[in-house]
Amino acid sequence: MKGIINFVLRNRLLMLVLGVLILAGGFYSYKQLPIDAFPDVSPSLVQVFTVTEGLAPEEIEKYVTFPVEVAMNGLPNLERIRSVSNFGLSVVNVYFKDGTDIYFARQLVNERLQEAREQIPEGFGDPQMGPISTGMGLVLFYYLEDTTGQYSLTELRTIQDWLIKYQLQTVPGVTEVLGIGGWEKQYHVVLDQNALLRYDVTVNEVIEKIKANNLNVGAQFIEKNSEEFIVRSVGLASSIEDLENIVIKSDDGTPIYLKQLADIKIGGAIRRGVQTRNGVEEVVAGMVIKLYGTNSSTVIGRVEEKLKEINKILPPGVRIVPYYQQKTLVEAAVNTVTSALLQGIMLVVFILMIFMGSIRPSLVVAISIPFSILFAIVGMKYFGISINLMSFGGLAIAIGMMVDGTIVMVENVDRMLRQSGRDEPLIHVVARACREVARPILFAISIIIVVFLPLFTLHGVEGKTFRPLAYTVALAMLGSLIFAMFLAPVLSSLLMRRPKETDNPKTSTNIWLVRKLQKAYRPIITFFVKRRLLAVALAVVLMLIGAIVFPQLGSEFTPTLQEGTIVLRLTMAPSISLKESTRITQIVERRVMKIPEVTGVVTRIGRGEVGAHTDPINSAEMYILLKPREEWRTAKTQQELENVIRKEVGEIPGVLANFTQPIQMTVDELLEGVRAELAIKLFGDDLEVLKEKADEIAKVISEIPGAADVQADQITGTPQLLIKVDRHAIARYGINVEDVQQVIRAAVGGETAGQIFEGVRRFDILVRFAPEFRSTPKAIGEILIEAPNGIHVPLSQLATIEEIVGPRQITRENSQRFITIQCNVVGRDIGSFVEEGQKAIAEKVDLPPGYMVTWGGQFRLQQEANKRLMVVIPITLLIVFLLLFSSFNSLKNSFLILLNIPLALVGGVVALWISGQNLSVPSSVGFIALFGIALENGMVLVTYLNQLLKDGVPMDEASVQGAMLRLRPVLMTAITTALGLIPLLLSHGVGSEVQRPLATVVIGGLITSTLLTLLVIPAIYKWFAINIESERQLD
Amino acid sequence: MLSNTLKNLIIVLGIGIGSLLLMSCGEQKAELATRAEAEEAHHDEAEEAHVEAVTLSPEVMEEFGIEVGTAGPGKVEIHLDLTGEIKIDPDRLAHIIPRFPGIVKEVRKKIGDEVKKGEVLAVIESNESLAPYEVKSLIDGVIIEMHLTRGEVINDNTHAFIVADLSYVWADLTVYQKDLPRVKIGQKAIISASPAPVTAEGRISYISPVVDEATRTAIARVVLPNYDRQWLPGMFITAKVIVDVINAPVVVPKTAIETYEDQTVVFVKTAEGFVPRPVELGRENDLYVEVLSGLEPGEAYVTKGGFTLKAELMKEAFSGGHGH
Repeated sequence: MKGIINFVLRNRLLMLVLGVLILAGGFYSYKQLPIDAFPDVSPSLVQVFTVTEGLAPEEIEKYVTFPVEVAMNGLPNLERIRSVSNFGLSVVNVYFKDGTDIYFARQLVNERLQEAREQIPEGFGDPQMGPISTGMGLVLFYYLEDTTGQYSLTELRTIQDWLIKYQLQTVPGVTEVLGIGGWEKQYHVVLDQNALLRYDVTVNEVIEKIKANNLNVGAQFIEKNSEEFIVRSVGLASSIEDLENIVIKSDDGTPIYLKQLADIKIGGAIRRGVQTRNGVEEVVAGMVIKLYGTNSSTVIGRVEEKLKEINKILPPGVRIVPYYQQKTLVEAAVNTVTSALLQGIMLVVFILMIFMGSIRPSLVVAISIPFSILFAIVGMKYFGISINLMSFGGLAIAIGMMVDGTIVMVENVDRMLRQSGRDEPLIHVVARACREVARPILFAISIIIVVFLPLFTLHGVEGKTFRPLAYTVALAMLGSLIFAMFLAPVLSSLLMRRPKETDNPKTSTNIWLVRKLQKAYRPIITFFVKRRLLAVALAVVLMLIGAIVFPQLGSEFTPTLQEGTIVLRLTMAPSISLKESTRITQIVERRVMKIPEVTGVVTRIGRGEVGAHTDPINSAEMYILLKPREEWRTAKTQQELENVIRKEVGEIPGVLANFTQPIQMTVDELLEGVRAELAIKLFGDDLEVLKEKADEIAKVISEIPGAADVQADQITGTPQLLIKVDRHAIARYGINVEDVQQVIRAAVGGETAGQIFEGVRRFDILVRFAPEFRSTPKAIGEILIEAPNGIHVPLSQLATIEEIVGPRQITRENSQRFITIQCNVVGRDIGSFVEEGQKAIAEKVDLPPGYMVTWGGQFRLQQEANKRLMVVIPITLLIVFLLLFSSFNSLKNSFLILLNIPLALVGGVVALWISGQNLSVPSSVGFIALFGIALENGMVLVTYLNQLLKDGVPMDEASVQGAMLRLRPVLMTAITTALGLIPLLLSHGVGSEVQRPLATVVIGGLITSTLLTLLVIPAIYKWFAINIESERQLD
Repeated sequence: MLSNTLKNLIIVLGIGIGSLLLMSCGEQKAELATRAEAEEAHHDEAEEAHVEAVTLSPEVMEEFGIEVGTAGPGKVEIHLDLTGEIKIDPDRLAHIIPRFPGIVKEVRKKIGDEVKKGEVLAVIESNESLAPYEVKSLIDGVIIEMHLTRGEVINDNTHAFIVADLSYVWADLTVYQKDLPRVKIGQKAIISASPAPVTAEGRISYISPVVDEATRTAIARVVLPNYDRQWLPGMFITAKVIVDVINAPVVVPKTAIETYEDQTVVFVKTAEGFVPRPVELGRENDLYVEVLSGLEPGEAYVTKGGFTLKAELMKEAFSGGHGH
């Protein structure tokens, strides 16, 4: 220690230069760091989508999902596979272990997809990987506004798909742009069954003919007068007229044109999603998806620039209107922490001024803040941590702590300067003062860094959320240690001056505040030192209070981050038609529009282009656009406004409504496949049994107090029209099953017969029967099938047609079917709710063999976190103890200091209880921070008490004198730490929900631990005092 | 010394355990004082919800387009859609053949001309007598075929003219085997030829006694008056055959029928609210269906928008009766 301090003071210039270099480096790194709203907690996941239009869930599971799942089994680093087979869509989520490189994972999946493709029957779709993005990748949503009213939804969608999309995809950092809403343009060949009969043509013949009359070829070149002429033959149909004039067959030289058999017109593709706005119109919308690992703020910035450019080239009257941008959130989150940071700095400097009573020492201490922060930023750059709510939050938390080391040092210098003789060179005084406290400072700060160790071991979501915070705190503390050790002595020697002659040179009591405090403190501490048992009683009482209050606290995982965007999610009956769900959604939109704070509503129903959302059409996500918060009148907070909306929307017959937020929604879905806090999964084989038991479980759960939004997955409930081919009947006519099914597919579902090119834009030609020939079961029964001998047989003569209710979707995890019951918990902690729920299910629900229940959702994450902390915290305590021991060389001293911990915890617990907050991961992080802070004060005090004892001061006197002398630094470090957190405590900005419990715990804990340090420790020090004799012998 | 160490050890353990407890959020929880009462309240609610009635305010009903009507009698026409073609009635066809072979001297009419019975169509010089004779129409009608040209030598076995009386034509409808039992002589048929908006009504006067071996179809015939010649033989037609007309005591529009919990139901308005009532359905057409049982005449029921009610009931079922 001595060596370091002496070396530092000898090389002051070198130290200053190095210090300036670190500052510059920090500033440079700051400019380079990516900025995000939150740490991205998405799992390492590769999604495989397969679109098979028109196929029912059972077939999707059998033909598509299963082969994909099988192919993915056994991949390295694989964690689990979850799949959803929906109507027309198979989604297989391949989860890899955390930290797996996403490009590596994609490559693995891609290799195996080749195998899967071979297993999937021809025409059943082609599995594709989802966008290279994460749950936070949906950075911007927009819709197209047409002020002229002259563009149809089909035209607008064409603008979206062929103009905007391709323009936006050129923006660096954008991986995908997905369109939804309106109609995708198609050329519809609407067949008249009677005409087919009249001219004796089959659907397949029509499709063949269209395909055969729509192509261009190249035929190399010919030479003509030394020149080459490229030969190309143009036969592409390019208009409705071209299609109409395709000759389907020729009867005695009389051509039969397609137009005689069908109506050819431009129409919309079959769609599984709609986008509506304000309850009055349908719109065309798009979603911009950010590439994995890119900087949100820059990508969004570039997208915005591009949107401006695109707006210029759009047809007059058409405009892109963004309605959701992550940028606002990013800005808000960064604002919250930055302003907390700045306010914290100001408060801390203010406190310094008061306690030091002079600018110079305050300045030395204040410089440690920017130094530590910039040092931390250099580290962030090195570790690849982005600027976000958590990482900057860590800095905000650390503000009060970063000054502690320097405070102790500067305070000691200040004190010594006041006491030192006039003739002693200033630099010697500084060296002496610094040497005295350097060792405890080193250990105290090391301990703070060490107590953050448990956070580094967190895994999964909680790890991704809180690790950046742990990093920045640890880095900032390291920075502050470096400052205290290497720069504080230098700066003290340069900046600090001896007090003027006129002042009382003996003590620091010339500062008014300190004088007053000491005056008040002396009788109290003398009292306690004399009646030690009272001090113990005080500590015990505090502990008891903590013990009483603790069980009253609820627990949750992480308080919900308010993203500032409210999404109202509507779930409708599973059998609903898109038309009906659109109608109902618009009714709800109109209700929401009545709220004065709402400026607009944009809703996505179902899914658009595959890649981001896989929702079925009975699910609608309503983005509620709000006025700026200053203009709100009916509500002040987002929570209140949600209640207002809840009230206004009221009961919607046939619709379940719940609130969520864009990022929360997406991330939750990626994590568990469900978007509620709690997910109960029932595994088993038979869909019917699964559904029945899931409903029972849902009923049991909903009766537990605190249950809200209980919902069993709607796996069944989709009506099906089941056409079963009668093999005997077809045998009589010599028809094959395939012949029948081909006609059913083309006639009822429609079949693509090539494409029409308009420049590079290409649009499908869809051949399908006119609605009157296919839209009722009866009409389907009348569809004619041609037998090999040319006669026509109605379908109902070859097959039975019945209406049944089938599954809506089939969910599987690790190749086993399961059903999810999701649930939110309101007004109580999830932990106890789960306990009660598990008991209730065991008692009331009778599960057949082979069926089992697992609990997931946020609850599972919390359990995992707890389990790990159970191991890590004792280890941390051990390390802390070892550090203490090596600092004091005394078991008793170490225990005395450790005594701070329980008392600090008491304060944290009580503070949580008073403020009505729950135990959660952020509050646990607060407790962890508290460990370190609480120990620091105790260390400073005990060190000095030991010193006094060694100097031969009697025990009682030493206790009082030590406490008196350390009053100023102890109070200063405690108050700066607490005040540094006050802005976080009071902030209502985005993200403050996560920081508040943490700040609450630390502030509360600081109060009790400071009380302990100042009142109890000096009093009971006697029992834990070092053995002076043995110490002396050692020295 | 030993006791001191022991004391210290206890303190450490206390600290350790205390912190562990803190971290393991929510291991023990105090019972909520009001839980028992709350549970009771929940049970009551759950039982109430089991009545399965939906109440809606008139405003909401209007907002969601739910309409209520009164059950009553009605007529349901049940029809069958058939296709077919227009044919000439063979009884109204005349093949005109020259009596003697000879040379065509004169052709007075051309194809498509209206002719009267006895009207001269052509003059032929007989090969035998070398005397010209007139070829006359046998019926009133239109010349639909003509196979002679002036100067041509014509035999006595050539169809010189075919004259058709198109004032009545046959609409021959193709009846598939499955529909045969339902098609009867005397049933009304509305015949139309698309795309021209030509329609006519008639009755089935004949059903072929045998089924064509190749096509496995029978023919049902409607004779159509055709004075204005709108039905051209060879035309492709579609027909709606009214196979049954029911006068039922309760007939409801098909929009009133919902499937709820594997049952066919109609939502009936009761004092408690709208209740799904299982019904037994009879015969139906595209728009209406006969209710055999479950709905009494005079009862108020939902004619349109029943889906919303059904969805509401399903919602209550899966959210356990707890709304927001």
